[in-house]
Amino acid sequence: MKNAKKSLLVLSTVALSGSLLLTGCGSNGNNAQENQSANQTSNQASNQTGNAAATTTPEVKEKVTLDFWAHWGSTTRRPIIEKIVSDFNASQDHIHVNYSFQPFGEGWTKELAAVAAGNPPDVIIQDIFTVGQRAAKKQATNLSEYINQDPSIKDRFFPQLWDASLYNNEPYALPFNTDTRFLYYSKKAFQEAGLDPNSPPKTWDELLADAQKLDKLNGKRIERLGFYPDDWGLFLDNADGKLMMDKNGPNFNSPAKIDALNWVMSFNERLGKSNVDTFKATFGSKQNDPFVVGKLGMTIQTGTYFAQIKDFMNPDDIGYAPVPEMKAGSGNWTYGGGFVLEIPYGAKHPAESFEFMKYMTDVAAQKYWSQYLFDNVANQAAANDPELSTNNPVSKFATDNMKWTLVSPVPNNAPDYTSVSNPNIESALAGKTDAKTALDKAQSAVQDLMDSNK
Amino acid sequence: MNTTAHSGSKRRKKPMSLERKEELQGYLFVLPWIIGFLLFTAGPLLFSFYVSFTNYDFTSQMDFVGLRNYKYMFHGDPLFWVSLKNTLFYVVLMVPLTTFASIALASILNQKIPGIRVFRTIYYLPSVLSGVGVYMLWMELLSPDTGIVNLVLSWFGITGPGWMFDPNWTKPAIVMMKMWSVGGGMLMYLAALQGVPEQLYEAAEIDGAGSLRRFWHITMPLISPVIFFEVITTFISGFQIFQEGYVMSSDPTTPGSPMNSLLFFNLHMYLKAFKVFQMGYASAMAWFLFVVVLFITMINMWVSKYWVHYEGGDGR
Repeated sequence: MKNAKKSLLVLSTVALSGSLLLTGCGSNGNNAQENQSANQTSNQASNQTGNAAATTTPEVKEKVTLDFWAHWGSTTRRPIIEKIVSDFNASQDHIHVNYSFQPFGEGWTKELAAVAAGNPPDVIIQDIFTVGQRAAKKQATNLSEYINQDPSIKDRFFPQLWDASLYNNEPYALPFNTDTRFLYYSKKAFQEAGLDPNSPPKTWDELLADAQKLDKLNGKRIERLGFYPDDWGLFLDNADGKLMMDKNGPNFNSPAKIDALNWVMSFNERLGKSNVDTFKATFGSKQNDPFVVGKLGMTIQTGTYFAQIKDFMNPDDIGYAPVPEMKAGSGNWTYGGGFVLEIPYGAKHPAESFEFMKYMTDVAAQKYWSQYLFDNVANQAAANDPELSTNNPVSKFATDNMKWTLVSPVPNNAPDYTSVSNPNIESALAGKTDAKTALDKAQSAVQDLMDSNK
Repeated sequence: MNTTAHSGSKRRKKPMSLERKEELQGYLFVLPWIIGFLLFTAGPLLFSFYVSFTNYDFTSQMDFVGLRNYKYMFHGDPLFWVSLKNTLFYVVLMVPLTTFASIALASILNQKIPGIRVFRTIYYLPSVLSGVGVYMLWMELLSPDTGIVNLVLSWFGITGPGWMFDPNWTKPAIVMMKMWSVGGGMLMYLAALQGVPEQLYEAAEIDGAGSLRRFWHITMPLISPVIFFEVITTFISGFQIFQEGYVMSSDPTTPGSPMNSLLFFNLHMYLKAFKVFQMGYASAMAWFLFVVVLFITMINMWVSKYWVHYEGGDGR
């Protein structure tokens, strides 16, 4: 009897541990199913009709369901992207797209794991700078086959964005949106300081002169700055119209860039680095943004910044102008970035995925996106649509500013170049070294990094 | 059925003794854990050891490259030394300070005064809070212009540093934050202090020992095993510092900023693995850190012979 009890115990232990293992293995599949059903409920209406169609009409090719990942989950962006997706679902009857929100950055790590496991999403929004990396590492699908069926697709996009989507001259992504930077200034503050609110600074000299007139200093304490070149990289890019890092490698230490860094450093020398740091530490975001609360007279921001101005300021009080040029004629250069649509490597329905990507980058979807989010879109025709200007006076200006906007992929052997270049430049900005030494060091550090990763 | 089983067991010479049976059952009971350990801990561990000799990048390649990753670590990667230095600096500053602070706090909270439980709760509370919330809180407290830390300093005529914006102050600031949450260690020491027999103090008092002497000659030896345990675990967790550098960097787009002063070893490893996909190199870094921590723990163990006192044992 006792024996029987014991063997029963042993048996049940084995059974239990076995079932534990099974549930451990099975949970993945269950979760996936749960996720899917959750997604489906969010698109219930269209999905139900879709399913019905698929089951009742067997002669039609089976409906393909695509999983689309992006990081747009805010109350402003999510409804827009979901509307575009549901418009696409309604526009045809053989593809159904489920939108799945993934927190920024997290989704990309998840994609990496999913690609390695051979079960990736069908379409994903990715970073434009690193297309080449994912192409080389077999994380993204080569799109040549689909582009060749309709080569005109590439003419949709701003040329620098299309270039950034190529790796070894073959496309691995379609550009979705981008950004460009330009000067916003407070007309009120200009008037107050005796400056003409209709003539924003055109060169760096004018920018500095205007800034000094707008500065409000109380002893050592800064109450308002006319301007502060917080984004020093932009001025280095602007100086000679060349990115510090482009697809060919580093360009940190050109004479123009050394002058530019000296110019940026002159702000710290004039105001005191610790005073500036103290002042900068009070900066917030949204309604506490330094420009919005009047702590800055001028600022350089992207086109979407206008959304904040519209929410928290009177847009009529704000002027905008291209980034001032270093010297007359040197160019109003700025840098840009953006996001692209990719098909992760190993995705099951690349042809259908590409069809969805085509829709996403076509005029209607792109216009809708730009109209409601004040975002710069990759499609030139959509970006230039005159209708956009009625809702957003900055729209046209931002689109025109694309001609001054430099976008370039980062070389595959130095994706993390900023970790070796920036500390050198930061040390110059902290007054620990001079501009030339810092930029020479940055140049050679990045070059070394590229050489060592060959 | 019963009889056949019996006759069968009779034929062999004590086929399965009770101990053996219980042993087997014991193993069966821990089997789920063992399988879990092999599958989810030992497996990945060995995999990462192999990967450290390859150019693995998750998706496209996994070729054997010999010691190349280890060579690159010591001769090619300038940030390896920066991150190692940052981590050592932090550990060397943090371990003694938090150990001292938690012993001191435990001694103070070991008084028999009314309301002491309330104080114990208050000082323990910070260690219940954890993670990013605490870092955000401290980033506010340490804000150079509006933070309360610099405000209090200004009452004494001291101009506080830029804290998280000044590369010389970022690591001390994080150590300060860690000292705020010494409650966990404090609790261990408090338990140890309560375990010190009262009669030893009484005997020493009769012999004329002052309170400092009593602390040094009675309390310290008796709580030394707990100090030893705490020092070792704090060392190990100190080397694993990661989130602070990732979250509290002055420029959110550059983890470890300003000027890589918060680029800790694990943060550098993470960036290499998941941002640049150099998983092979990151695995090599992980194994190097393992060796460093193992070495330091062994030194700790060896040194402990000279200062850790075990009551009623032979010193082991």
